[in-house]
Amino acid sequence: MPSRLDGPLKVSGRAEYGADHNFPGMAYGYVVLSTIANGEIEAMDVTAAKSAPGVIGVYTPFDPLELRTPSLPMFGETWVPLQNRDVAYYGQPIGFVVAETFEQARDAAMLVDVTYRERPALTSLEDGLASAEEAPPGFDGSPQTHTLLASGVDSIEDALADSPVVVEATYSTATQNHAAMEPHSAVAVWDSGVLTIYSGNQGSDLQAMEVAGALALDPSAVHAVNPFVGGAFGGKGRTSTPAFLAAAAARALDRPIKAALSREQVFTATAGRAATVQKIALGADTDGRLIAVRHDSWCSTAMDRSFVEPTSHGTSREWYATPNLALSQKMVPLNIPPTTFMRAPGEAPGSFALESAIDELAVALNMDPIELRMRNNSTAPPGRDLQWSSKHLDECFSVGAARFGWASRSPHGRTDGDWLVGVGTATAMFPALRFPASVEVTLQADDTAVVATSGADPGTGLLTVLSLVGAESLDITPDRITPRLGDSALPPGGMSGGSTATASAGTAIMIAASKVIDDLLVVATSPGSPFQGMETSYADGHVLAGGRTMTFGEVLRAVGRPSISAIGSSAPGEEMTKHSFSSFGAQFCEVRVHKWTREARVSRMLGVFDAGRIINDKAARSQIMGGMIWGVSAALHEGLEIEPNGRMANADFAGYLLPVNADIPEVDVHFVQHPDTLHNAVGARGVGEIGTVGMAAAVANAIYNATGVRVRHIPIVIEDLLDD
Amino acid sequence: MRPFELTAPETVEAALASPGTFLAGGTTLVDLMKLNVLTPQHVLDINELPLRGLDTSDGLRIGALERMSEVAGQPGVYPVIARALLQSASQQLRNMASIGGNLLQRTRCTYFRDVEMPCNRRQPGSGCSAISGANRMHAVLGTSDSCVATHASDLAVALVALDAEIRLVSAEGSRTVKLAEFYRLPGDTPEVENDLRPGELVTEVLVPRLDWASRSTYVKVRDRQSYEFALCSAAVALHIEDSRIVDARVAVGGVATVPWRLHAVEAALRGAPATPEAVEAAASVGADGARPLADNGFKVSLLKRTVVRALLELTEESR
Repeated sequence: MPSRLDGPLKVSGRAEYGADHNFPGMAYGYVVLSTIANGEIEAMDVTAAKSAPGVIGVYTPFDPLELRTPSLPMFGETWVPLQNRDVAYYGQPIGFVVAETFEQARDAAMLVDVTYRERPALTSLEDGLASAEEAPPGFDGSPQTHTLLASGVDSIEDALADSPVVVEATYSTATQNHAAMEPHSAVAVWDSGVLTIYSGNQGSDLQAMEVAGALALDPSAVHAVNPFVGGAFGGKGRTSTPAFLAAAAARALDRPIKAALSREQVFTATAGRAATVQKIALGADTDGRLIAVRHDSWCSTAMDRSFVEPTSHGTSREWYATPNLALSQKMVPLNIPPTTFMRAPGEAPGSFALESAIDELAVALNMDPIELRMRNNSTAPPGRDLQWSSKHLDECFSVGAARFGWASRSPHGRTDGDWLVGVGTATAMFPALRFPASVEVTLQADDTAVVATSGADPGTGLLTVLSLVGAESLDITPDRITPRLGDSALPPGGMSGGSTATASAGTAIMIAASKVIDDLLVVATSPGSPFQGMETSYADGHVLAGGRTMTFGEVLRAVGRPSISAIGSSAPGEEMTKHSFSSFGAQFCEVRVHKWTREARVSRMLGVFDAGRIINDKAARSQIMGGMIWGVSAALHEGLEIEPNGRMANADFAGYLLPVNADIPEVDVHFVQHPDTLHNAVGARGVGEIGTVGMAAAVANAIYNATGVRVRHIPIVIEDLLDD
Repeated sequence: MRPFELTAPETVEAALASPGTFLAGGTTLVDLMKLNVLTPQHVLDINELPLRGLDTSDGLRIGALERMSEVAGQPGVYPVIARALLQSASQQLRNMASIGGNLLQRTRCTYFRDVEMPCNRRQPGSGCSAISGANRMHAVLGTSDSCVATHASDLAVALVALDAEIRLVSAEGSRTVKLAEFYRLPGDTPEVENDLRPGELVTEVLVPRLDWASRSTYVKVRDRQSYEFALCSAAVALHIEDSRIVDARVAVGGVATVPWRLHAVEAALRGAPATPEAVEAAASVGADGARPLADNGFKVSLLKRTVVRALLELTEESR
């Protein structure tokens, strides 16, 4: 059995993604986008588009496909296109052209002539700071302004004023897009009153519910199929515009419809990561013990105000022991595309600021930055009684320092020929969460078993996890497990998001397996069965009693049953009242900056992580590695440039830079494995997001070490490091 | 992309006889057709034409349809040319893109590539969005009030440094033009990018023999290590004897509207000692006349630094 079950299919091109599905009579849709950032559509002339070759439908706010705004407990409301004439950002979906071929649809879409009544647009976070609004309460309902003061301290300012050493600075991070390899796309097919939608997403049951809500259908009339996802990273939680439009057009035209965004369109017609500004002040005593942490955050958000990037709450709220803590979070509504969850929302940009500030404090104290972090290691989030269930951050740093050769670090870097060389480190943390998930385990008469859930494997390795945890729970080899996912007809697996899938589905598998084994033993001992009336046990895929053993398949065959199934469900429970839960890590990197031309290139990377038990070493390592590369990308490459008129100046893969292989050295990933069974029975915590956390700061800190230049924004580019 | 007619002539004569847009590797043309920037009605696939071959016996002769990757890997190609090619685009693009097409590639200016935006180069008289827009990638040399777009080719910078010529044929006959004179500054007519006449086809690139160009290099500075256009690049060759610079060739890319030869730097290098101090002094005049924009002022400094780095690579090599 391959260590990644989907690997052979993917590398040989046999994995069928949503848009790979084709049906007889299928037509193609192309989305039309706005070219202003704020205003109203006065008119759309579709005469030329409608008479273009092959066109069978042109939909606009004046002649829309009817869609309702769906609402789910998990996401709240999701915007649907074409329902009014308002334009709130440049690149907003405002039309949909359906034709016999993709090329005809694209060609006709370019013939749609739009007249706008334009209003002034606000697109710059910097310009909008003055009109920032209080952010609504966080996901857990907690207020965005949070202050913790030691007794006798009147304000955070007093605590800072009384601190012998203070560092204070403002940091900023760029607007980003998930830029998944698979653009948002869908194929929608109606058959006998049932809509089947093939579209990459992070949870097929959630997608089925959203599409049902949008089309005013009974949820049983929508079947969402999603066996493979070409990357999601939070950007495919909500149903995409092409999926809504394909589903509605398929109903209107009574034909299968395929719709996909172009690469350029993905940058505006989906949702991305907010830009942030963060002001941090750290006060410490001369031994480096924190006395006060103040972290004020601002993030961009779309005019619908539907998402807040919680940078201060995602980091300073929990990371370091401090007697005094003050956090705030504001949002700046702009005429920009929607913002949403993106890999480590809050933690990724927040850790750039906090971990840069910690490095600045280490410099101010003339202290090793690892030593500073260890002196402020916490046993519980500040101000909370619930201790961390299992925290081995100190081990991550000590193992990491040894592996990386940290001891040979010089406080002022070193030179190697024409290159200035520096090293940097940072803490990584990401909360350990679980979402509700159900999994069905089926024992079959041929001695194989099926482990099935509707959840998604967006490249994370969940498919293999189903197989491995299923095998372990049933005490059989993984090659006898058939894992199934990505289909809303299966038990609801919830969302692959928040680094939760292994812990959530894994626990549900263990519960389902235990149930199905119990049921098997009942069957095996029932009247007329081989073990009638006997005291049985189960091991190794066998039922045992009285010196006799039979495989579960033999038992099922003996009683004439093809299979036996049980569903297990898990959700966060009373463990939440007993401990605090998080994964931890230590990031290290070495950066080289050219003496003359000042390019910064990462030459070594190491991440050491405490993520509980690791189920599949290869997949976990890949997840972390990908996350760390994301961090380098955020540090040195990625950033959308939004122009005053709301247009994105670099919305394609030539302009929106991601690292190429040549930018990334060998990535060393190491796990300190301490199973966290206080969190869940499997003992695993998430690894999907923590890999990116802290990495951008580690890069910036290494650049400082190499050059003496402190850059407080990302991405860091050549001109930031030119000293003339 | 608009519907178009595609034919594939098998001889140069046939290609020149019918009006249309030539398609070689397609890495520029097809890209811009998908964006509706170029909307040819008739496309002539010239890949079957006999415009191949590479001859290194006396200087360099390169057939216009040679692929970038093929030329880069040939022995006898001056290092500055091979390195410029190898730092261009990606391996996949280099496998497709032709030498002739590379020299005729269009600018990467974001506004040129977006038909919704004003652009004098794409639509004369519509205005330049870049002058007051996102112009970090744009030119500081050779610009005008009409256009500040950079020329994107690395190869052309190396070729201009080596005084290369190109051979052009049309139904009227053939001619040979110095590459440096082929490209046009934008001036008031940025839509005229070069001296190519209607129906004319690039058939060959000719690099005069320059034995000391065996000591040459191409340094490309960019925001990532590969598959990215230059913020600044430098093509340099040095003739060093007894630790003195006898002659030099210096051209820069990524900073100018056309491949930009630095004659003043070359003059300052001639006769100078091959020392870091002399090289720095010579490079200091490299950005004279630069007109930086809001976002690209750093290119003035980066240009000089890139030239110094490239020259020092060669002087250090000589020790």
